[in-house]
Amino acid sequence: MTFIDLLMLGFSEAITPANLAFCLLGALLGTLIGVLPGIGPTATIAVLLPITFFLPPLAGIIMLAGIYYGAQYGGSTTAILVNLPGEASAVVTTLDGYQMARQGRAGAALAVAALGSFFAGTVATFAIAVAGPMLSGFALSFGPAEYVSLMVFGLLAATILASGPVLKAIGMILIGLLLGMVGTDQATGAERLTFGAIELFDGIDFIVIAIGIFGFSEIIANLERSGSEGVKLAPLSRLWPTRDDFRNSWGAVLRGTAIGTLLGLLPGGGATLASFSAYSLEKKVSKHPEKFGTGVVEGVASPEAANNAAAQSSFIPLLTLGIPSNNMMAMMLSAFMIHGITPGPTVLTTQPEIFWGLVASMWIGNLLLVVINLPMIGLWVKLLTVPYRLLYPAILLFCCIGVYSMNNRIFDVILAAGFGLLGYAFRKARCEPGPLLLGFVLGPLLESNLRRTLLIEQGDPSIFIERPISLTMLVATVILLGLMILPSFRRTRQEAFQEEEA
Amino acid sequence: MTITKSAALAAILTTTAAGAALADWPADRPIEMIVAFAPGGGTDIMLRTLAPFLEAELDAQFPVLNRPGASGEIAYTALSQARPDGYTVSSLNTPGFLTMQIGRTLRYDPADICPIARIVEDPGTFIVQAGSGYQTLADLVAFAKENPGAVSVGTTGVGTDEHLAMLQLEQAAGIDLTAVPFGGANEAKTALLGGHVAMIGLNVGEYATSDRNAFRALAQFADERSILAPDLPTAQEQGFDVMMSSERGLAARCDVPEDVRAKLAAAVDAALADPEFQEKAKQQALPLSFKSGTDWQADMPVRLARYTEIFKLIEAGQ
Repeated sequence: MTFIDLLMLGFSEAITPANLAFCLLGALLGTLIGVLPGIGPTATIAVLLPITFFLPPLAGIIMLAGIYYGAQYGGSTTAILVNLPGEASAVVTTLDGYQMARQGRAGAALAVAALGSFFAGTVATFAIAVAGPMLSGFALSFGPAEYVSLMVFGLLAATILASGPVLKAIGMILIGLLLGMVGTDQATGAERLTFGAIELFDGIDFIVIAIGIFGFSEIIANLERSGSEGVKLAPLSRLWPTRDDFRNSWGAVLRGTAIGTLLGLLPGGGATLASFSAYSLEKKVSKHPEKFGTGVVEGVASPEAANNAAAQSSFIPLLTLGIPSNNMMAMMLSAFMIHGITPGPTVLTTQPEIFWGLVASMWIGNLLLVVINLPMIGLWVKLLTVPYRLLYPAILLFCCIGVYSMNNRIFDVILAAGFGLLGYAFRKARCEPGPLLLGFVLGPLLESNLRRTLLIEQGDPSIFIERPISLTMLVATVILLGLMILPSFRRTRQEAFQEEEA
Repeated sequence: MTITKSAALAAILTTTAAGAALADWPADRPIEMIVAFAPGGGTDIMLRTLAPFLEAELDAQFPVLNRPGASGEIAYTALSQARPDGYTVSSLNTPGFLTMQIGRTLRYDPADICPIARIVEDPGTFIVQAGSGYQTLADLVAFAKENPGAVSVGTTGVGTDEHLAMLQLEQAAGIDLTAVPFGGANEAKTALLGGHVAMIGLNVGEYATSDRNAFRALAQFADERSILAPDLPTAQEQGFDVMMSSERGLAARCDVPEDVRAKLAAAVDAALADPEFQEKAKQQALPLSFKSGTDWQADMPVRLARYTEIFKLIEAGQ
């Protein structure tokens, strides 16, 4: 069968009323749990998994996939409206998205996020269809050594995320690295920085830090600024993005899509790394990097495109190799297994309707999400006009439920409250939390892969420059470092900072 | 009313409530099933699949509560603090439950926890790429003898099943392998497919659900061949003394009345005999292997002694 035939087969499977209904159900459910902070798709799918016993295989898998990418859409809504990243990959969306909302451009930010995500989802879905097996080869060529070089580059690039002084950004990255070390050491089994607390054995959960540092501290800061009246938002000018918004964001969406599709293939932290990298790249190539963090539309478009593309392309290793690249994909694997289907190259040839039906349904699901989300923007934006004395307690309540339901323990809620205070202190000290979160996510990956590489190579570090992908990444790191140290670069950076202060 | 008085009253009320509950067990309240791992893991899916069958057997509800963390210690601590009225059960996994008793200060007393029934026994296995030159354990051992430390073995951390199996093989064959810890079985599989490590440890259940054209298993580490891999020779058949399997089952506090535990065990036994459940277990590649709580508990000291021996090797190596 030719490619077109297969794609037609997929669409004919995905378009049956039952499959279409499950796709819509999944997308709606995903949007809902994405909007509620802390309630992640992994837990939702775990609860729904047994239900898929009673569905035909494809319908069940289509619904679960819908929940997954629906949550990516929903997660950006709270990030933009109330500065609450529901997922690790939505953290950077808060930087400019929330600022846009405060300037009365929440509708534009949400629309750009939805349309950018749709475009990225479309491209990544076709990447799965056209080049799935080839792209999975790229994922496999990423060994521990490549990861180390990628993480080193990522950590250095994290300083670009901050708009303040480099020194503060580095300080925040180091704090992030330190927080990432909490827990049982994988290689020796020793406890690190747990202070004897059994709840810290597996480290601190990302959601705890994100909700504390972003959500809680935002509420404290707003209360301080204006008491219970809340912050006066600029009046809503318009719901739809302006022509300028579109002109400024299309390049960002393209770059974000490319980065997201590639990094989404990598196991562990793919989507998060993708959205961070896309934002950093956008800031680097921008003609006005100093404006990032004040509500520029590219700062929303590129990470949103990247995290949605990554969400789609993370299916590639699962579908072509049978290897899930994150917890969500592991759940999807279980959903396949329940129906006695072992994903991998064999399924592509023996049951093409499963693979192609899923691929086609992903595109349909993305389309449905845009159709669901665009008319709802008006509704979401109205949320901002809810008086803060009602909105804040509601947000706090949902945050606490979300944090509690991760592991069913109150310890995490208290920990998140502690991070709220810490986040407030950071605000006072004018330290930005973005680099901290990136350090927290990348640090453990860097450490474990460095140790793996040296174990495998029996202590010989020359592998880092012998392998081409690793070498490329290290050269890029050195160039970036050179740019940062160059005095001229420094001067423009400081000028930009002063400009922002003024 | 003084505080003492109300406390005394509350105590009386709770006692009577517990007494009444025992009489009606299990119909009047849901039985909470604590799972020591995050949603979506092997143990979680196994118990979520089993729960509806237990509900039918006992005419009670079995809500699942995930209490992940510290390789099960958080769940076992929660179980040991629950009331001994038969309304709280927990997942129980070996070797984790046993190895955490070696050289670690626990927040609960392992003697307080009694197994109800074993549901699954999944032997460990070593797998290599399908194109690898190693056909049997002996091939691998021969290469490792010539090149000490050169064979890298992906595990999921210190003291895990795979690591313990690897240490046993090192000792049994007199070779030196290099353990490389990964974040989970899937990360390790990816590294093996990419050729970044030479071999990885898995469970037979995980091997059975992988693409068989991509991997080759060298041996399984149980007394008898698993129903999932009847063609794969055990390590002992190949002349190496390596014994390692993961067992998963249910447990309750030891002071839960004997008849309540017996009823729970009987319900698990009946559910496992149900063809409908067996069909679902087969689809999930669960190597069902029922063992009563008493028998399972009787086995544990032998396993514990074996693991304690291996842990001494780890300490000697560090």
